[in-house]
Amino acid sequence: MIFHSLDFLVFFVVTLVAYWWLPRRGQNLLLLAASYVFYGWVHPWFLTLIFATTFIDYWSARCMTERPEQKKAWLWLSIITNFGMLGFFKYFGFFATNLAAATASLGWHVPVAAFEILLPVGISFYTFQSMSYTIDVYRNHAPARTSFVDMAAFVSFFPHLVAGPIMRATNLLPQFERERQFSAAAARDATVLMVWGFFKKLVIADNVGVIANKVFALESPEFPVLWAGVFAFAIQIYADFSAYTDIARGVAKWFGFDLIQNFEQPYLAASPSEFWRRWNISLSTWFRDYVYIPLGGSRVAAPREAINVMVTFLASGLWHGASWNYVLWGAYHGTLLVLDRVVGRLWTPTDRVRRALRTVQVPAMFVLTCVGWLIFRETDLPQLIHHLQLTPFGVSALGASAGAYLFLLALLYSIPLWVQDLWAELGGPDLSIAIDHPEETVSWRRTAAQAALCGVMVAAMVVLRSQAALDFIYFAF
Amino acid sequence: MVVSKSTLSLCLVITGALTLPLGLRVLNTFAPAAGLAPSYLPTIEEPRIREPFDEVFAAELRETRPDFAVIGDSMAGTRIDPRHLSHLVSGRGVAALLHPGSSVAYWYLTFKNMIVENPPVRMKAAIFFFRDDQLTLAFQRVTPGTLDRVARDHEPVLDHVLAANALGGFAGVHRAVQSAYHGNRTRDWLLPALTHAPVYVAAPGADPKVFLDSMNNEMFSLETLRKTSVADLPPPTGETLDFNVMVGKSVLPEILRLAEASGMRVAFIRVQRRPSAQGPPPQSDALVKYLRDLRQYLAEHGAYFQDEWGDPEQPLAIYADGDHVARDARIPYTERFYKKNRRLFQ
Repeated sequence: MIFHSLDFLVFFVVTLVAYWWLPRRGQNLLLLAASYVFYGWVHPWFLTLIFATTFIDYWSARCMTERPEQKKAWLWLSIITNFGMLGFFKYFGFFATNLAAATASLGWHVPVAAFEILLPVGISFYTFQSMSYTIDVYRNHAPARTSFVDMAAFVSFFPHLVAGPIMRATNLLPQFERERQFSAAAARDATVLMVWGFFKKLVIADNVGVIANKVFALESPEFPVLWAGVFAFAIQIYADFSAYTDIARGVAKWFGFDLIQNFEQPYLAASPSEFWRRWNISLSTWFRDYVYIPLGGSRVAAPREAINVMVTFLASGLWHGASWNYVLWGAYHGTLLVLDRVVGRLWTPTDRVRRALRTVQVPAMFVLTCVGWLIFRETDLPQLIHHLQLTPFGVSALGASAGAYLFLLALLYSIPLWVQDLWAELGGPDLSIAIDHPEETVSWRRTAAQAALCGVMVAAMVVLRSQAALDFIYFAF
Repeated sequence: MVVSKSTLSLCLVITGALTLPLGLRVLNTFAPAAGLAPSYLPTIEEPRIREPFDEVFAAELRETRPDFAVIGDSMAGTRIDPRHLSHLVSGRGVAALLHPGSSVAYWYLTFKNMIVENPPVRMKAAIFFFRDDQLTLAFQRVTPGTLDRVARDHEPVLDHVLAANALGGFAGVHRAVQSAYHGNRTRDWLLPALTHAPVYVAAPGADPKVFLDSMNNEMFSLETLRKTSVADLPPPTGETLDFNVMVGKSVLPEILRLAEASGMRVAFIRVQRRPSAQGPPPQSDALVKYLRDLRQYLAEHGAYFQDEWGDPEQPLAIYADGDHVARDARIPYTERFYKKNRRLFQ
């Protein structure tokens, strides 16, 4: 089921009304049932996978507590099962094809099973979330849960099930275990988040997505046209993914849950390390805590640290998809981060210089990020090499003006996104929150601003919603 | 009953979100969209500015009076060379009434308004090219504006057919939203203003419409696009594929009725979609049954039907991207088509 559908609207309202009638245990059971309906809506067989993941991780964690001497074995069971399922459904075709190509280049023709495997949507997200639970139990960061319903509801919680944010057991499971009260103030802020999310998806992401798709459908775009398309894709992926997060956070809030903020003005980052503290925060911190730090993190010699960074980013790239361009994208960002650290060690500017430099660094980092998005978007490697060889010289008059036109059109659609990010960066009040506890201190001025903004955004959706309804990009991962 | 401040603020936000867009109606009174007549498809569209009917092409047909018409989208466009087909049928004119990205609603209006109701045009046969279940998918590719060039001011039959298909919940909500806020009317004047604005900076002095047309025609034409094996239309899924249910909610009966009333033959050619290296494209049991029912229905109504699926003379090698046939395979295809269907042209 997708958020921008009538099915979801009906599902959401019915579930919500029933939910607040029930006591806590009943609420969790209802959330579990609703999440399974949500996930199995199109392909009911997906449910067997999520149930298997949940059951194995629940059981592994219980066994770790009951049989501490076998702790490691149970952890491995969880890791192997989770990676096994992820590997089969997401990477089997990729590895089989590459194995066949590699052996063929050596003169051996190995027959490879040729069948197409449908990627279960969201598997990368819930597998990582569920695995974080068993790892945390193994590390004694969280106790093993006795309630299977709570655990299953945690793994399958529908608002963020298919595209994150990836929540940690230490954060989300306790929310399932406590009593929840309906809060009109939270519901109001949730509404604002959802409207903002739908606006970003339907008006910004889908409209600029049409520009990006158009450019990437070209055989040989000219330099300005290509980079206008890359710019459009940069806007699309940010608006699209952050829209999903905002809608997920809004929906969860209506049910009394708080999901983490997954983005903090990533395109205003001044360095690669800052970018990764602002972009897809839940995934970045997952890789930091469960891959980078166990590898030794930064508490090792510089060359080893560089290797740790590269391994983490290559894994992160591969997480996004079974294709070499994602691996290349991971390698590109890993290299940027290693270089950033080398420069950081060689030169530490004063605060004044740092502030002055920021005005140059932010646009420079945005350009570097766009280069990364080109690698991410272009799945055809020979085409990617061709794109990277393009120069701004010898461009036709139509190519120059078409590139400028497409860039400006994407910029025009993205103005609300930039305004919102600059507003937040400069410390403007968060308009998605009009509550100050206790409740009596509701800010009416801010509420009025919220109401006005919501009205304008709904009007914009009614008028400017793209005719091309595109899927959320991260559904593919 | 005491209502908390938080509840009041929630109500305020929801009220703002739902009522402020009503301001669009006020805005529209100052816009060129004010006072428009209802659309030719009032069931699915609010009044909007429309492109005029293509009188020039209709007049051209009246003047040239071709004997045959080929109707369809790029499937027909990449397969049939109308000039060569005219030559094969001894110089009797073959008109190409083709529009890329079109579907059966467009073809129906083309047939009705350009041929049947465009005297003195009087053809011997009209040949429709289609894929799979397209003939009964009335709602396919019927977004506002796509039919303007072939639609008259009133199209009650098509509107009625679309109404029969548009009774789903989503269509109802969509209609309710549009009739409450008149968003489409705002879209009609706001969207061109928005998309034309960057032209003034990117190409100073250029007429926005001319600039956008030349950009789309030169830079984003079919020839400049990457070749892909993925077709622009996915194959039909089995669950909802039932010809006997679908035909009652389609324009196909009306096409046949018009043909009979005007004494014209109609032919329907189901093109073969992209095959694999191993053979013809796979088709589900539901699709096979659908096609069997379609064949029977057309035979009962005296229409000609040709299914090209599995034609050994159409291997993968003659295809370009998706379901399109390669440019150099067009003439040979036209010749084979003529030979196989010679009786159509008698």
